[in-house]
Amino acid sequence: MFSFNLQRSGSMKLAMAGLMTTTLLLSACGNNNAANNEAAATTAPAATTEATTAPAETAVEQTVTDAMGHKVTIPANPQRVLASYLEDYLVALGVTPVAQWSVTNGTMEYLAAELKDIPTISYDLPLEAVTSFAPDFTIVQSEGTVQNGLYDQLNKIAPTYVLGDEVSKDWRKSLLKIGELLNKTPEAEAAITAYDQKAADAKAKISAAIGDESVAILWLVSKSFFIVDETRSSGAVLYGDLGLKLPNLVTEIPAESRATWNPISLEKLSELTADHIILVNSDGADAAEVTDGAIWKGIPAVKAGNVHEFGRATSWLYSGPIANSKTIDDALSSLVK
Amino acid sequence: MNRTLSVPSVKSRRTREAGILTLLAALIVIIFIVSMNTGFMRLSPLDVLHTLLGEGTKQQKLILFDFRLPRIVISLLIGAGFAVSGSILQGLSRNALAEPSTLGINAGAGFAVLIFISFVPATTAGPIFVLPLLALAGAALTATLIYFLSYRRADGLSPTRLILIGIAVGAGIYAFQLILSLRLDPQNYQFVAIWLAGKIWGGDWRFVLALLPWILILLPFAFYKARVLNVLNLGDETSKGLGLPLERERLLLLAAAVALAGACVSVSGGIGFVGLIAPHLARRLVGPRHQIMLPAAALIGALLLLTADSIGRWILQPTEIPTGIVVAIIGAPYFLYLLAKSKA
Repeated sequence: MFSFNLQRSGSMKLAMAGLMTTTLLLSACGNNNAANNEAAATTAPAATTEATTAPAETAVEQTVTDAMGHKVTIPANPQRVLASYLEDYLVALGVTPVAQWSVTNGTMEYLAAELKDIPTISYDLPLEAVTSFAPDFTIVQSEGTVQNGLYDQLNKIAPTYVLGDEVSKDWRKSLLKIGELLNKTPEAEAAITAYDQKAADAKAKISAAIGDESVAILWLVSKSFFIVDETRSSGAVLYGDLGLKLPNLVTEIPAESRATWNPISLEKLSELTADHIILVNSDGADAAEVTDGAIWKGIPAVKAGNVHEFGRATSWLYSGPIANSKTIDDALSSLVK
Repeated sequence: MNRTLSVPSVKSRRTREAGILTLLAALIVIIFIVSMNTGFMRLSPLDVLHTLLGEGTKQQKLILFDFRLPRIVISLLIGAGFAVSGSILQGLSRNALAEPSTLGINAGAGFAVLIFISFVPATTAGPIFVLPLLALAGAALTATLIYFLSYRRADGLSPTRLILIGIAVGAGIYAFQLILSLRLDPQNYQFVAIWLAGKIWGGDWRFVLALLPWILILLPFAFYKARVLNVLNLGDETSKGLGLPLERERLLLLAAAVALAGACVSVSGGIGFVGLIAPHLARRLVGPRHQIMLPAAALIGALLLLTADSIGRWILQPTEIPTGIVVAIIGAPYFLYLLAKSKA
């Protein structure tokens, strides 16, 4: 099968191999410099202005222990905070992050206005990108993000605090904790009070409008449906804060095997008896393939015309004081006629 | 395969071989330097020099010594490891398609690591030194399974059967990996998906330390056994006739190849192709004598992986392409070229 022509002189092949490597090399050099210059141009001014804007408040360093047991010394007045996927909390506390979370196909679009000029950073926190933003304090949401030695490397760049899954699944606890870390506890408490007031008002209005009708939140992405339970993101808002009734399909999933967003097949959805459906559509126009089908059209809430659709730019998939507040606005506009 | 006949004299052959090894080493040095300059942050060659001499800023030192250098060293070690592992396997099986990933050894090692990641909660320091051992166990189990399935008392180890069974076992393990990864939470799934694609994720000196002993022991061992591999190339009957304790030598070499692959997989994930291509290139450049072919393959593997890692880091900045994918992108066209040129 592999009888290569070994009689031929090797020098030709050698030359080819050499040529290939040189080409790669040259192209690597060329592009690399351009990209680097750009990075330097954007970071340099930021780094110089930072020193002048430091307020003269009398705050002291604090040493705290994070969710993974690291002892973290937070600078007295962190000026360049990096908290990927926790931007919602920073914005609520009036802190501008140095970079915002992103994945290949986008950012947290519901915060687009608040984070308009903030550069993006990939969700997996590439070390050199982190270094280029020169943070002086980093907050990481989950233990999983920094496993296998990444924590130690991040911590070399700037003191790094891991919030932990236990805290971060409750946005109130997260906000209070982040407020504490950034010397902004009063702001955090005020934000929660304001939110609770808003939620209580909305609860009264919605209850007057739909009584005890149930509402399902479905997320459609890549033609697959996911359903949220009462513990996370918009589910926590609707079922927890607004006191709405969970749909049958969620209560049927055993509590211990529930995920944040539970995958659910279209066939199973035909058994959904919810009175209202909030459809979070991440597929845009492609969703028609599913929503024009007989199964979808046969769901009682769809027949009754009680589908309220939201795009991926809305806050339904996220969690945090701002996301949840926007979710309440959306719920009011769709459920209260 | 009888290249020596076409070469005029032993002396000119020696000079040529030495020249090729020197050239490969020089290329590695060049790519090494380019790689030190490559990345998201701007570090000019002059900056790198200053930093190396201890005059860089804190940021520059961090980037060079803590992020870039360990990765470069790890790439070199992994490339050499996979290449030598593939060379041994090709020599043992007398099959040009043999390499740790086609034989399912990478999959077995990866599966062990995956199980560990799925069921042991994330810690910072613990798993780094455990992972090579775990991967090794997974690789060894898989290799044993494949060996027994493809061994027949009547006609020994058939090269073709070895490959076919390796591919089948590898596919089976891969299916299990997918099933397992679907049960993970999103964070761990991300990690595992990228890891399976072959990303050098251990960018840390501790990973170098974890990997180094394996390479330092097993590479010289393989070089030492080069003559045995030469004899094995002549076929089982001839090897026995020449007085080689066939089964024992074969087991020893197989164990070395498996251990090398396992240790590399634990740090790099599923990087294939290096173990396949490096021995091929080495054979074309310096001929089939393992004394010279093994070191050449090690250098080519190191060069290939370092190049792939540098390209992967640079091409889609600031995101990185997993090294395994870059290797496949470079490797696949070359492999097609080989197939097109082969007569069969």
